[in-house]
Amino acid sequence: MGDSPPPPEATPPPPPPITSGSPTDFLKNVVGKRVVVRLTSGVDYRGVLSCLDGYMNIALEQTEEHVNGTVTNRYGDAFIRGNNVLYISAAEPL
Amino acid sequence: MDASAGIQEPFDLIRLSLSERVFVKLRGDRELTGILHAYDGHMNLILSDVEETIMLVDGAEGAPHGQGVVNVAKRKMEMLFVRGDGVILVSPPSRT
Repeated sequence: MGDSPPPPEATPPPPPPITSGSPTDFLKNVVGKRVVVRLTSGVDYRGVLSCLDGYMNIALEQTEEHVNGTVTNRYGDAFIRGNNVLYISAAEPL
Repeated sequence: MDASAGIQEPFDLIRLSLSERVFVKLRGDRELTGILHAYDGHMNLILSDVEETIMLVDGAEGAPHGQGVVNVAKRKMEMLFVRGDGVILVSPPSRT
């Protein structure tokens, strides 16, 4: 098999490796924004990120708890222990 | 930094809740409300005048969250030490 031209639907080349945007930079940029925090249990918490620390302990404001897509609870403030956190995602464009 | 609420780090949120009634979500489908007297970096808690709510889930663990909760058991305790590794969430209900 010789070199064949890439098929028409070739995937674009991978983006250049990100050397400047570290996870820490993301976390700095996302403070004060609306985020989705998913726990390892599958429960989601949506709220405004007040602050967080290196253990991923999280303080949220205006928090909604989503289980299976439905809102099950609302908290004015919420502290989430970091060991439970699976990810933090920005819910609005940074 | 959230200067408006004076919170620098997440533990400040807990510190502001000392001597207030808080809501605590624990692993194992349990919830507590009680007056927060002390906490530490492990999230160990000392609570007084506590009510614990245990969600008793029917049968399979396939959908334990919000579905299939057929019963709830409550118990009250005057003073309680909570080991931090079981804590999921702490919220001050007075600010809701």
